[in-house]
Amino acid sequence: MEERNEILLQAPLHGDDVLPLWAGDRVLFSGDMYVARDATHRRMMDDLESGKDLPFEVSNVLKRGLRVTIGKGERSKRVKNLLEKYSSIYGIACGGAAAYISQFVTRCQVLAYPELGTQALLRLFVQDFPLVVAYDAHGGDLFESGKIRYRRITLY
Amino acid sequence: MRSIPVDEIVLGMEKALLEVNVRSPKPLRNQMMEVLATEQNEIAREMVSEILENYVIAEEQYLPLCQDTGMVMAEIEIGNTVIIEGGTLQEAVNEACRRAYHQGYFRKSIISDPLFGGNTGDNAPGVVFIRQVRGETLRISLFVKGGGCDNISTLWMMKPGSTPAEVERVILRALDKNAARACPPLVVGIGMGGNAANVMILASRAMARPLNTLHPDERYRRWEKKWKDDINKLGIGPQGVGGLITCLDVRIESAPCHIASFPVGMVCSCHVFRQIDREW
Repeated sequence: MEERNEILLQAPLHGDDVLPLWAGDRVLFSGDMYVARDATHRRMMDDLESGKDLPFEVSNVLKRGLRVTIGKGERSKRVKNLLEKYSSIYGIACGGAAAYISQFVTRCQVLAYPELGTQALLRLFVQDFPLVVAYDAHGGDLFESGKIRYRRITLY
Repeated sequence: MRSIPVDEIVLGMEKALLEVNVRSPKPLRNQMMEVLATEQNEIAREMVSEILENYVIAEEQYLPLCQDTGMVMAEIEIGNTVIIEGGTLQEAVNEACRRAYHQGYFRKSIISDPLFGGNTGDNAPGVVFIRQVRGETLRISLFVKGGGCDNISTLWMMKPGSTPAEVERVILRALDKNAARACPPLVVGIGMGGNAANVMILASRAMARPLNTLHPDERYRRWEKKWKDDINKLGIGPQGVGGLITCLDVRIESAPCHIASFPVGMVCSCHVFRQIDREW
């Protein structure tokens, strides 16, 4: 097993904060987190296209530069390339372990689009939220390297 | 004739939904403990530990196991002498969803139309499949499944005469590409035969077979075991981080089919396998 680091990250993040992180590292993240689902992204795109402003907090984060994105499972090649280009990382939390993960959320606030219900734009305040770095800012890919290490069958 | 008041059915399903979203069944817990014992990848073991801890916290604090409390699917077997009094089975499922999802503060994840619909606000309607059988019993198997694992469902119209090895290859290829997005370790349901529409229901029914039950046909039991082992050899691992366990179980259901076709369907469940049976 390669060496893994455990790192505390505190938002707001700055340019170089995520550069020491490598795919597979464990991160405990504290600070503000913005949550947006499919319909939220659609809505933000529509607003931008029709010349409207994004909610203040979101445009603020985007101006500073998005350093960490969080999800589960693989992202597209395009997203991976963008992460490398803009020195950002993609972290995964354990999917389907919501009750566990909720223990690290201290507060939740609806920022915009309340009419989207569960897909509204939210701000979460989290403390030591557990993440694993899946894509680092240097092109490292945990899904790929993990699969290669444990592969015991030929497919094609 | 035996008559069952619809309210009784609604109440039973309401309680079942409140339970299944919060409490993990014992066979699943045991199986996940085994995964932890087998798994060698440190990151994967971390994920599995979090899954195990999640079971405890959900039950103790009455929180849903997964934020995605899914779309409710009801597989219903109704005896030919049973009459439902006061409403239809679809109405009963919908009403049970409304009550349980409101009472449990579960996420409301249903929109009234994929293109033009807004959130229905009560997680209704559920998806209902009804089969009529002989007898005077009503059996309802409720299944709660999130969007992530349903999104990797696949239908193949294979060449008639395809071998088990050929079927296995398409399944392995699909899972190799998609399994990480579906919250593994997965329960994989495979339908074979019937027609295109029917085979997805077969796959879904296969997946919903209670954990730790065996296929009645020895030949299929062998393939279920082999495919499970081979899926695990893909190396995808829990949550896709790499590891020895990608699949908890493979289940197969087959049906007669046309000489010119060989439909194969795959429907998976994420590791939060939420299935519960009720009988009247």
